[in-house]
Amino acid sequence: MNISKKIVVLGHFGVGKTSLIRRFVENSFSNDYRVSIGVHILKKKVEVSVDETVSLIIWDLEGTDNIAAIRQSYLLGTHGVIYVFDVTRPITFQAIEEDLTALKSKVRNVPMKVVGNKLDMVVEEEVKKVLLENKISFDYLTSAKTGDKVNDLFEQLAKMLTLDAKQI
Amino acid sequence: MLNKFKEEFKKHKLQFISTDLNGIVLETDQTLLPIEKNVDIGTIHPFFFNLSEVLNIEQEKAVFHCIQLGETVEELTVDIEIYRKEDHFLIVIENLTEHYLNYQSLAQSRNETSIDSELVLLKNLELQERERFKNEFIQNFSHELRNPLTNIIALTNILQRSRLTEEQEGILDVLKNATSDLKLMLEDILSIAMIAKGKLALNPSVFNFEQFLEFLRLTYTARAKEKGLDFSISTDSAIPNYLEGDRLRLLQVLTNLCDNAIKYTEKGNVKLQVKLNQKRANTVSLRFSVQDTGLGISTENLDRIFESFEQLGRTEGAGLGLAIVKGLLQLMGSTIAIESTVEEGSHFYFDLKLNFPLHVPEIPNIDNARLKTVRKEKYSVLLVEDNEQVQTSLFKSLIESGEFFIDVVSDGALVMQEIIDSGYDIILMDVNLPNIKGDQLTKVIRSFPFKNIKNIPIVGITANSFEEQLRAYKKAGMNAVLTKPFDELELIKTMRRLLK
Ligand SMILES: Nc1nc2c(ncn2[C@@H]2O[C@H](COP(=O)(O)OP(=O)(O)OP(=O)(O)O)[C@@H](O)[C@H]2O)c(=O)[nH]1
Ligand SMILES: [Mg+2]
Repeated sequence: MNISKKIVVLGHFGVGKTSLIRRFVENSFSNDYRVSIGVHILKKKVEVSVDETVSLIIWDLEGTDNIAAIRQSYLLGTHGVIYVFDVTRPITFQAIEEDLTALKSKVRNVPMKVVGNKLDMVVEEEVKKVLLENKISFDYLTSAKTGDKVNDLFEQLAKMLTLDAKQI
Repeated sequence: MLNKFKEEFKKHKLQFISTDLNGIVLETDQTLLPIEKNVDIGTIHPFFFNLSEVLNIEQEKAVFHCIQLGETVEELTVDIEIYRKEDHFLIVIENLTEHYLNYQSLAQSRNETSIDSELVLLKNLELQERERFKNEFIQNFSHELRNPLTNIIALTNILQRSRLTEEQEGILDVLKNATSDLKLMLEDILSIAMIAKGKLALNPSVFNFEQFLEFLRLTYTARAKEKGLDFSISTDSAIPNYLEGDRLRLLQVLTNLCDNAIKYTEKGNVKLQVKLNQKRANTVSLRFSVQDTGLGISTENLDRIFESFEQLGRTEGAGLGLAIVKGLLQLMGSTIAIESTVEEGSHFYFDLKLNFPLHVPEIPNIDNARLKTVRKEKYSVLLVEDNEQVQTSLFKSLIESGEFFIDVVSDGALVMQEIIDSGYDIILMDVNLPNIKGDQLTKVIRSFPFKNIKNIPIVGITANSFEEQLRAYKKAGMNAVLTKPFDELELIKTMRRLLK
């Protein structure tokens, strides 16, 4: 059985959305920053169990510090959301609560993963402490550069999506 | 003009596609994407994947802006409109690559600038945090040092009054010098930390400028002589005799500069010069300069010499003097300038604006000799202090002066009873008592209904030297507050003043 699921990846600009996707899809990384505009869509098949694959249709959105301003059409029919912030730039996670609330009102009832990226640039324990102090909960801390937890992130989400599909 | 516009318009090429509700292409042209009939449009580009599901629940039309169909923006970036009809989809793709390329380069520079300034801000915050931590640490640390130092000074003074052999006296002299050096250094460190934290306030008053310079001349002529140097002061007769400013801080600046000059000069002379730049209604601008014929400072070191703690290790022995000078002058609205040539000497100078009084004021002469006059009557003192060392040394020096009877209480809670029972002429109180804080205690005393209790003079003793704290203590009702380490003479003088 081959099903396909649409996920959108969003968050502030420069947090590494494109890099995470590129790491997952092509297993490559670049230090250069090429700002994304609008949306770029990629596809990748993920094996969720021995005889089951799912095609992830990944929408790489233009970064924004204003979730409310995201074009509604990009979110149409999405099955999952990845919200990325940058652990080295507090401005990208300071208002995360409001961002996620705004987001949940735009895409209802779909699984959402919160990801702190660029873990390679910091000491994990310290970042965890800071995030805890600021009461910021997250699902993954990743590094697009080293690839740390990137596959886990997408594969876990893919599994959740297929489970969801079965339950319906 | 119109032609150009038409050209532009023509470039916005459109492709029309129709598919059935499963996304199988019914009809299409090939303007932008090479699409054939009967293929699943989802295989052409992932954007079209699951088209039916995307639009299933939605209304009959959806517009998608800025969809990047190629690998990069340059390749093909479009707007897509999808209409949902009864039994098919109608898709219109408009090529807006050029338009979006412009937008991309705009967004590129906007985002880069924004992230850059974010990082600068972060860096600054980090620096500030480090600076704050450092100053806090230093300040706490020097406070800790003050208590034992106060004891040493007090006990040394007591020792000096006992009968000593000549050799012992010599040793004691060395001890006294060493402790007073230590006290000065401690004050330097605290000054820096306080300047850095913006906690140091200026305390301007009218002072005799002639005497001020005379004091410097006496001090440094002697000191220069020890090293075989000449020290001279030249001044301008047009400078008013009395000036208004923070005499102590100005003294601190000039002594630091002169100390340094003498320290780094092996032969030749050190000159302190004060010149009048300008005189207005009641302000003068003065140029102070300290010039030596010493080692000099190399260009690459010039920037560094004014920096504080970090530099301690590198510019060996230079200490904190110049950092203090810089900080204090900043506080007084001035900046230090320096010209220096290696092996020839250095020239430090700054301009300072000071007020001067139009009428010569009466300034009381502080006369140490008066301290020696023994009084007839004795006063009773309540000493409230929990630290035994401080207790002993204060007790001893007060007894030695022969003017006081002393009772000691170490627990703040017992103080009230003691005061009511015995009645005292003056209370000496450590602000940091265990159970109750000295300032709270003072408030309680001040609110008492009986005059003889309510009005007892209270002298606070504290290791805290924050201006605002000191003010708060006074506001609580303390008549005076002494900051550790203080000299016993200072204490006795203060007590006498309050007992008058
Ligand atoms: N060290 C490190 N750098 C990263 C990582 N992820 C991304 N970067 C860098 O961060 C910059 C931005 O990465 P992008 O992936 O373009 O960020 P984005 O979120 O897609 O940015 P927008 O498209 O503008 O929203 C690039 O210079 C990347 O090389 C990471 O995990 N570690
Ligand atoms: Mg991107």
